[in-house]
Amino acid sequence: MRPDIELTARDHLSAVLNPPVAPEAIDPDADLAGVYGLTSLNKVLFLTEVCEAADVDLGHFTEDDLADMRTLRTVAESLTLHSGKAV
Amino acid sequence: MTAAPTGDLTGARPAPGCSVLNDVVSLPPAGGTISFARLDGARSMPLTELYELSGRLARRLRARGIGSGDRIGVLAANCPEWVLLDLAALRLKAETAGFDPGKFDPDDDLAGRYDLALLFTDRPATAPRTVPMTLVGDLLAEEDDPHEPPLPQVVWEPDDVTTVKFTSGSTGVPKGLGATAGSVDASLAAVQEIFEHKPGDDLFVFLSLSLLQQRYWVYSALAHGHDVTISTYEAAFATLRRTRPTVVMGVPAFFETAKRQIEARLRRPGGEDTLQEAARRVFGDRIRYLWTGSAPAAPAMLRFFDEAGLPIYEGYGLNETCIVTKNHPGAHREGSVGRVLPGKEVLFDEDGVISVRSDRPVNRAYAYAAPGDSERVFGPDGTVRTGDVGHLDEDGFLFVRGRADDVIVLDNGKKIVVRPMEESMRSGAAVAECVLFCPAQTELVAVVSPASLPADHAAIARQLARANASAAPDERIGRVIVADEPFSEANGLLTSQFKPRRSHILDAYRARVHDPKEGIHAS
Repeated sequence: MRPDIELTARDHLSAVLNPPVAPEAIDPDADLAGVYGLTSLNKVLFLTEVCEAADVDLGHFTEDDLADMRTLRTVAESLTLHSGKAV
Repeated sequence: MTAAPTGDLTGARPAPGCSVLNDVVSLPPAGGTISFARLDGARSMPLTELYELSGRLARRLRARGIGSGDRIGVLAANCPEWVLLDLAALRLKAETAGFDPGKFDPDDDLAGRYDLALLFTDRPATAPRTVPMTLVGDLLAEEDDPHEPPLPQVVWEPDDVTTVKFTSGSTGVPKGLGATAGSVDASLAAVQEIFEHKPGDDLFVFLSLSLLQQRYWVYSALAHGHDVTISTYEAAFATLRRTRPTVVMGVPAFFETAKRQIEARLRRPGGEDTLQEAARRVFGDRIRYLWTGSAPAAPAMLRFFDEAGLPIYEGYGLNETCIVTKNHPGAHREGSVGRVLPGKEVLFDEDGVISVRSDRPVNRAYAYAAPGDSERVFGPDGTVRTGDVGHLDEDGFLFVRGRADDVIVLDNGKKIVVRPMEESMRSGAAVAECVLFCPAQTELVAVVSPASLPADHAAIARQLARANASAAPDERIGRVIVADEPFSEANGLLTSQFKPRRSHILDAYRARVHDPKEGIHAS
């Protein structure tokens, strides 16, 4: 997982969480829906926004891929795979 | 205006224009395009091609024994096959039953429980009479039989049921409700009269096609020659930017999410300069209007989009009534849910509880429900007791104040509708949600879901003072109990549509609600 993509994901996830959680306080392995109350619509918004910010084409993913992204870590790892600059 | 009858006793085909549904099944569309969007891209086809494919699918289904009076179930994400099955069923005079993939399991004997001839699903399933959605493609790929007779002339009479829809009850087993062709036609005609969808329009649909109203916009496109875009739920935000629709069919939760997105873009360094620019970045630059319904919209959200240059129109209706009122470009009043549509009548009892009478009722009873359920909601003529409280103003605009169940009767006999005070509390940044109780008939007690953790008790106290300052004496809140954690679906205090579950919240905080020493006290 690329550190810059993880940071971007943290920022954008924090922006949609209600109640707010600071980017640095997000547990990368916590279930986004169960622990942070991320609604399905906010998850869609978060992933759309983070893909744009990380310059990753959302078209790399299927609807099922999105359903499988349940933690910050899986989101960042999935984006890293398609970032074209994986290190 | 009332929908004209769609057939006479001889079964003769009604004149074109009398029934959108009968036009849709009988007449090739004059123009327009349907697009299907997924995360990995979009696919478009002329509506003429969609019509031809639906006819071919209808013939294939007929060859497998599906015909008038049979019922086809669909449990799948939005996709071309969903639309084709719906149209094919209409052309065979077969019923459909749309199942929300988030609420139903294809292996839960749906075919048996709901009398389905076939259940099409995109989920893994082994239940009897359950087939994969890919079968649609297989059927369409079969070679035409030159000796196959053409499809029969189909006429949908006003009382014919076209589809079974399911109430989105937050608890228990959803109730089934057969929607009549007359009610569909009446709603489509009324909506067309006030919004005038036409070539050049592109209506954006992302909510599940299992909701009949989302399929209305496909029927509307076929009848009126405009475009329609069907997106998966997951691709909604990404597709909006690409598609540049003129109309977005949404619900308050969607527009609240979009509002936060626009606000975040405005805050971002180097982001858009103006609210209007940020809004266009999300919705595209062709929006004529935004449609919201199915749940009450927050006034602040509605104002936000109006200020962003995207007119948003709230309406009112239940599964049992279809669309009853709607604000629209020609008649819009802030705070109302619009004027009553042609063919509908809004009635009030002595407590202001709204009932709706329709020239063409959706139905007069539920199709699948517990004994007594239908009688509690439907009158003998199909009049629906909504359970909502409201009034019409002098110009005929309907204002919905809350649920009748949410009316608190004080010991002085005064009736308090709780929603305005709850909304007043929610307008503060420290309060995410608020529900009111009246444990002793003398004092209103609020349980609030904090907007952040730890809860900002000082800000909540200030919000309490503000809300009380603008309220009538009987409506003032005596105490506020701050919930230990925000209400959520996970802790059972919000429904799947993000509405507070009052009884669950009271159960969770009963002791503190009833203890006069507990909570933040009004000054």
